[in-house]
Amino acid sequence: MYLASWDEFERAAQNLYLQDPMKVTYSMKYTHKSNLLKIKLTDNAICLQYKTENQPEVKKVEKFINNLMRHMASKDHS
Amino acid sequence: MVLLDNDVFLTQLTIMFHDARNSGSVRMSMKRYDGRTKPHPKDKQKKIPEPTEYLCLLRATTNQKKISTVVHPKDVNKFQLAYCSLLRGNMDGLKKMKKAKAKPKATQ
Repeated sequence: MYLASWDEFERAAQNLYLQDPMKVTYSMKYTHKSNLLKIKLTDNAICLQYKTENQPEVKKVEKFINNLMRHMASKDHS
Repeated sequence: MVLLDNDVFLTQLTIMFHDARNSGSVRMSMKRYDGRTKPHPKDKQKKIPEPTEYLCLLRATTNQKKISTVVHPKDVNKFQLAYCSLLRGNMDGLKKMKKAKAKPKATQ
């Protein structure tokens, strides 16, 4: 199911990730031809999805990826 | 799935974005990785040593190709800069928002 807004997705994603960081996979799919970016975050039980066609959203996505990657590659156990 | 160095991964990813311009799409995924190369033992009682640090595993696929890389904590900053500028440069097919009308220049 796709979430309606980016904020909603971001919040839900954060909660899901922090529950069990080892389980969560983040993925995205970019289709140039149909101008579409689809984003997904799942822990194999719950699946959060978001899609966008707007360029400015990419910036928010980048910020999110940066945060996520920084946490993934850290010593943090939570 | 070929495991590549960070730099090589990024160059390959650029090529993949280029390949997917006319048809198809690029899929990227990101996951936390504890550096383990052996499967977890069936015996749940056995204690597995806690990983001292976590890594980040990235994969990218198109119809023709699959690549992957592992980012170490010490390389995160460097990799992020390159990765983000790559994404920004290549995900350029999306709609741009309409710019607000430029204010008329004040007459001198």
